[in-house]
Amino acid sequence: MTSTGFEPKIAAFVCNWCTYTGADLAGTSRIQMATNVRIIRLPCTGRIDPLFIIKAFERGADGVIVSGCHPADCHYTAGNYHARRRFTLFNDFIEFLGIDSRRITFSWVSASEGQKWADIVNDTTARVRELGPFSGYRDLVRSGLTGGQDAGT
Amino acid sequence: MRELKNLAKRLLEEGTVKVVIGYEEGPVGVRPVFVTRPADAEKLVFNSRCVQNLAAYLSRRRGHIARLGKSAIVVKGCDARAVAGLIRESQLKREDVVVIGMRCGGVALRPSDEGPLTPETVADRCSGCESREPKLADHLLGELPPAPPKATRMFELMAQIERMPVAERFRFWAEQFERCMRCNACREVCPMCFCERCIQDKSQPQWIETSPHARGNLSWHFTHAMHLAGRCSSCDECQRACPAGLPLGLLNRKMAEIVRNRFEYQVSDDSTVPSPIGAFKQQDPQEFIK
Amino acid sequence: MTFSISDSGLNALVDEVIASGTTVIAPALVKLSAGERREYQKIGSAQKMALTGAIVSNSLKPFIMPPSVPLFRYTRAKAAVSLEPATGKAQAAVVIGAQACDIAALEIVDRVMDWDYHDEVWFERRKATTVISLACTQADASCFCTAVGSGPDHPRGSDIQLLRKKGGYLARALTESGKAFCSKYGSHFEKAGDDADRDPLIKETREKVETNLKIDLGAIRSFLTRNFEHELWNDFGLRCHGCGACAFACPTCHCFDIVDEPEGITHGVRRRNWDTCQTAKFTVHASGHNPRKDQNSRIRQRVMHKFQIYPERFGDVLCTGCGRCVRVCAGGMNLLEILKVLDKSAEAKS
Repeated sequence: MTSTGFEPKIAAFVCNWCTYTGADLAGTSRIQMATNVRIIRLPCTGRIDPLFIIKAFERGADGVIVSGCHPADCHYTAGNYHARRRFTLFNDFIEFLGIDSRRITFSWVSASEGQKWADIVNDTTARVRELGPFSGYRDLVRSGLTGGQDAGT
Repeated sequence: MRELKNLAKRLLEEGTVKVVIGYEEGPVGVRPVFVTRPADAEKLVFNSRCVQNLAAYLSRRRGHIARLGKSAIVVKGCDARAVAGLIRESQLKREDVVVIGMRCGGVALRPSDEGPLTPETVADRCSGCESREPKLADHLLGELPPAPPKATRMFELMAQIERMPVAERFRFWAEQFERCMRCNACREVCPMCFCERCIQDKSQPQWIETSPHARGNLSWHFTHAMHLAGRCSSCDECQRACPAGLPLGLLNRKMAEIVRNRFEYQVSDDSTVPSPIGAFKQQDPQEFIK
Repeated sequence: MTFSISDSGLNALVDEVIASGTTVIAPALVKLSAGERREYQKIGSAQKMALTGAIVSNSLKPFIMPPSVPLFRYTRAKAAVSLEPATGKAQAAVVIGAQACDIAALEIVDRVMDWDYHDEVWFERRKATTVISLACTQADASCFCTAVGSGPDHPRGSDIQLLRKKGGYLARALTESGKAFCSKYGSHFEKAGDDADRDPLIKETREKVETNLKIDLGAIRSFLTRNFEHELWNDFGLRCHGCGACAFACPTCHCFDIVDEPEGITHGVRRRNWDTCQTAKFTVHASGHNPRKDQNSRIRQRVMHKFQIYPERFGDVLCTGCGRCVRVCAGGMNLLEILKVLDKSAEAKS
């Protein structure tokens, strides 16, 4: 715990075949890592719609990790290549909307890279802890900046 | 203009098409018209107030227009990109539409803006336009007018937003999206929004909050821009249609810039070039991926 | 009871109302990314008011019936559900400088909201709002208030009506709450004003609007009653894109949708959001069948509701001729034109 007591909530969207297995390896190898990450397992990075990341922020996540098989290693041959294009657009675009892209980590973690997964988790947690809480997106619902549109609760 | 009227009349008389989708002088400004009788071809006009991108009317969602029969459509160079997009994405067969291309000297911001084009009144997309002669056309009409004046406000606003620190930028968009009422004009006028069921209308699960509050609105406009990546024809109809006056064209413009920088792809009226989102290269950039 | 008030008196009055903690809503200039326009806004000082200029681009509807209203918050714990009412009740508000079309709309919608059910969400804000209208001194090609029983200086729905005169305004207190307001802020009002002083522009504006549209509402209503199926409807919807811009800009459209918006697995908010009959989604059944299968039938619904269904029940029409549906339409739909066609067809049939 830091002196502010802020512990970031981080959502991780990972593919079933590489990163999830890699995260499992980190656990069975008893590698120590931050406990801030909640893993959501998907069949492939190709299944990770950018909306998943947006949804995480809407519900109050402070950071997000997206991870899957290295290029050329996709279980479905090309899912991660397609995903990479979307992530590229997403990563550049959200900065334009005013969301700090440092809150998001994209990574390739294979089934044998338990240590790399632990590093990704620790680095992301440290970085997001530094950036502070991100309730901005979730709280947009009650900002009520203009007119009679008091949409808040 | 005579050329256009004659062609439309001939296409209808010959029975080549059942309807010509074009422009007419409406009660307040130029507006879309659907000519089904040869005599009504006289209504057709083409001038700098023909702002609308009529390609939206070719979408399969417009059952009441499709029912009229095979159509011919009047397009400017920019509109042709949208028609090509529909063909590229199998929404339309090339042989099912007659494309009447108009050589274009730029259009105004609004269909009711009279007078010669100036940097203040010219549409943003006309600045530096390189497609004033639609290549997709079956019939290419008119003489090429001089190039339109350049509007700079969109570039200035873009630069202004890019200079903002990230938190200020978030606030800028939050204030914009506070104004959105979710009338969905931006979606309905968009020629590339042809999904039979928009993700916004799906409720199980409800990915995007339908409520018009800044949170649901930001998620919607983000998604719209993402779904238009590498597809948007940059007609800015979303921005023109927005009753709240939001600078929605900026989002698509930014996305187009990202697509161009990252994948060296630019939306054109060549329907045979595949979309950058359906494709990939092994050497695609990935410096941001750890 | 007619008073008069000077320009500076009105500014002082508005500032005093704001200082008392009451919300003031008035036309104000709003800067957009491209240009600026007049919109009803909550204002923080009389300086912000822009009482003259082009037609105000939004209606008063968002202030009485916000686009999204939270009804309550829900929390689930196993089988038990607990509800917590939404906070933020209506605060006292004064509307100043509203156009006749926008004010009349409030009264028109009142009837729907107090017909088979007394709608608390509407009336809570409605009752907390004092309405001071201002007779229009400008109109554009889309204005047609005089054709639907209103007019630039029609007082309907106003607690107080202001009429422009040299250096200030005539102020007519029309309701009990209007009179109470005038006596509460009596120091700003001067002796009885003379109605003859009113700006001649008001009359000119009326004449201009009258030339925009002249129709027989009764004949249109009976034509509509008899012609639900008519080939006319096959043309009206062609250029319509099927968005909700017209309905959301409309001061009298009042349809809403109720949604539960989860904020987690166990909790969320039930909201009431604006809805519109112009979208396919409005009528689509769970089976996928849609009784209003195309845009023509949706346009028919909008016209029928305004000029036949509502009149059948309440007497007059669900339209105040503000012309906003025309101004916001990206497809160039024009209600004046539709009404002209209907009027002509009604005449031909009778």
